[in-house]
Amino acid sequence: MSDIFGNDPMLDMFIFETAQLIEQLEQSIIEIERVNCYTEDSINEIFRIMHTIKSSSAMMHYENISLIAHTIEDLFYFLREENPENIDCLKLTDIVLEGADFIKHETDKIVEGRKSDGDGSELINSIRDYLSELKLNNPQADDEEGKRPSKNEDAGNILEDCSNQISSMDFPNQNYKAVVYFEEGCQMENVRAFLVINNLKEIAENISYVPEDIIDNDDSIEIIKNNGFLISFKSDRSYKEIHEFLSHNVVFLKELELYEIKLGGYRQLVADNQDSKEPQFFSTRQSIISVNVHKLDKLMDLVGELVISEAMVLKNPDLNNLVLNNFQKSARQLQKITGELQDAVMSIRMVPLSATFQRMNRIVRDMSKKLEKEVRLELIGEETEVDKNIIDHISDPLMHLIRNSIDHGIEKSEERKAKNKPEFGTITLEAKNTGGDVLIIVKDDGRGLNKESILSKARKNGLVGKTERELTDKEIYSLILMAGFSTKEEVTEYSGRGVGMDVVNKNIDAIGGTVSIDSIEGEGTEITLKIPLTLAIIDSMTIKTGESLFSVPITSIRESFKARNEDIIIDSEGNEMIMIRGQCYAAVRLYELYKINTEVKNITDGIMLMVENNGDALCIFADEIIGEQEVVIKALPGYIRNLKKVRGLSGCTLLGDGSISLILDVGDLTASLKEGRMKI
Amino acid sequence: MKKVLIVDDAAFMRLTLKTILEKNGFEVAGEAENGAVAVKKYKEIKPDIVTMDITMPIMDGVQALKEIKTFDPDARIVMISAVGQKPFICEAVMSGAKSFIVKPFNEKHLVKVLSQVLGM
Repeated sequence: MSDIFGNDPMLDMFIFETAQLIEQLEQSIIEIERVNCYTEDSINEIFRIMHTIKSSSAMMHYENISLIAHTIEDLFYFLREENPENIDCLKLTDIVLEGADFIKHETDKIVEGRKSDGDGSELINSIRDYLSELKLNNPQADDEEGKRPSKNEDAGNILEDCSNQISSMDFPNQNYKAVVYFEEGCQMENVRAFLVINNLKEIAENISYVPEDIIDNDDSIEIIKNNGFLISFKSDRSYKEIHEFLSHNVVFLKELELYEIKLGGYRQLVADNQDSKEPQFFSTRQSIISVNVHKLDKLMDLVGELVISEAMVLKNPDLNNLVLNNFQKSARQLQKITGELQDAVMSIRMVPLSATFQRMNRIVRDMSKKLEKEVRLELIGEETEVDKNIIDHISDPLMHLIRNSIDHGIEKSEERKAKNKPEFGTITLEAKNTGGDVLIIVKDDGRGLNKESILSKARKNGLVGKTERELTDKEIYSLILMAGFSTKEEVTEYSGRGVGMDVVNKNIDAIGGTVSIDSIEGEGTEITLKIPLTLAIIDSMTIKTGESLFSVPITSIRESFKARNEDIIIDSEGNEMIMIRGQCYAAVRLYELYKINTEVKNITDGIMLMVENNGDALCIFADEIIGEQEVVIKALPGYIRNLKKVRGLSGCTLLGDGSISLILDVGDLTASLKEGRMKI
Repeated sequence: MKKVLIVDDAAFMRLTLKTILEKNGFEVAGEAENGAVAVKKYKEIKPDIVTMDITMPIMDGVQALKEIKTFDPDARIVMISAVGQKPFICEAVMSGAKSFIVKPFNEKHLVKVLSQVLGM
């Protein structure tokens, strides 16, 4: 068996499905809390989820997980069957969530390659205590202890049926007696015995057996194990036939003793259990398959390489100055198909945000309960899709933002009432598409941000570069994104350790997104995460400086133009600025920034590119524009990244002709400029 | 090769069963995640044998067994059950289940039960 379960796919599937089930469970719980009662459906669902986890984890030999699931399953079995009154919903929910957490924690360990060694016995005991408490309070439901009552009346009748129809012992005309021994470890010997009886009815009558109460009494298992299962019956088949029948039909038969008591039948019956007809074959298709993410990554990589190779062929220098009508025609077709392929692969990787959003429900629930605040979470646009890789990166930041909102933003009910606000705090989590980006907005109607305290804190930590009067509101708010900033004096269980918002900022930054904050004091805060749809391929403009090539994401380019000498202004610190339509922008000469040798140093000879990030714009001076191209982003090699943070570069890419182009990180450029880190 | 229809709401269980069965020379001709789908697929595939989970959403295994038996009384159906589902197995056996196996099962047991029910 171990050879099968040593297999990764099996483990992967177990982890994946268990995680899914737990998530489903949490959602049901949240729903239950909202309507404040356990409906029949939800009880059934939780029962089923726990049942599945129990079986799967037992198959994988994770006994601790299986046991917890089993205990909760038992609890819900009781709820389902007995429908007890006056359940303490809150306590029940806590128990289930605690169990879910345990299972999650253990599967996490398994994912990390550690041993699942958590001890759930304490939790199990508390669940069992709760169950016995329930049973005590609902005495009519208190059936035989430790034994499951029948499912419903139907099943009950059938049970009775099971034992009655064959239990009358004294038949005078029995002619056979058999003792059946089952293999050890075949489990549920009593039900197996029942199966034997049921099968035997095909060829025998007047059946009686010992022990009698095979179904009702689980002690019969031990008796059957030790003494065998004794059957007497009447049949007109021959000894040989009956022996064969029993040997064939009893699964896990270890030993069979068959005695003929007196001579019986003459008639020969024809066995009729032949295959009646050859079944026809139809293929059945599954409409959904699950694919390992690594395979998708690989596919994405390959498509990326394909896009590059395509450009290498189509823009091959050998083709220059040739008239190639047919070639161009085929090339266009190729371009069309690679484009479609790229879109298709991209769409495979797109996952709706709903699962991530739903997970926040749990956080809101747990925190609002602990902090005694009343908070509602509203989800908008959860069907919005983003790249799978991105989903993995935004889950933690979102969680942090929500925690912040509840902890720092939303006031307690009394305070809210005093302020004429609705008693319930509301947090809105919204996602929407805007062109190449997805916006995720976390909005709360709490107390909002206090500019004064942010400023004084920032001053204390030396985070303010500009003079304060120059700072816009947005800039002040974004100070809280900087490392080492936390306005909350005391550290709570959930947030306020001073590693909060800057981590959010870093995580979002890492996937090429931005964070912006808006707030009205006393009314609430709105934090917007702007996130690219996908990480891998971007539309870019390639520019050249000296021998070096740079790619600028198209989405951040505002315009390109030839500058005139008279537009250039030098500010008091010697920085070059350029005046356009009455607005002043910093001008960055790439050859100066990256110390590149170039002939083009005169501002009128080269080209200016105005780029923008988050409302901040600057102008980049380069020798010339090469053209627009889709590029596949590759991370900068480790030795460069490890050396130190390279300013203004987010990665590199291979161009069609095989040359390397550096991808400019406009966000980093504007930010460094603002903080005065970059000397122009 | 004998055609098997695997019925279980847990994808993990389906994968486990499938892996074991294919390794042992069975053809997994179809999978169903609940009883209703199982009945439909049974008609399409006409498998030689069915492994039937009991606890499933929409339609449970016992109900599916009964429905299949109405149009194919010879259907060979093996219940896959967990410990403690005795009443259901009992009901399934009464309704014509050929055998049953208890989770967590091992490879040897599973193959043995199926082979025996198939008369192999």
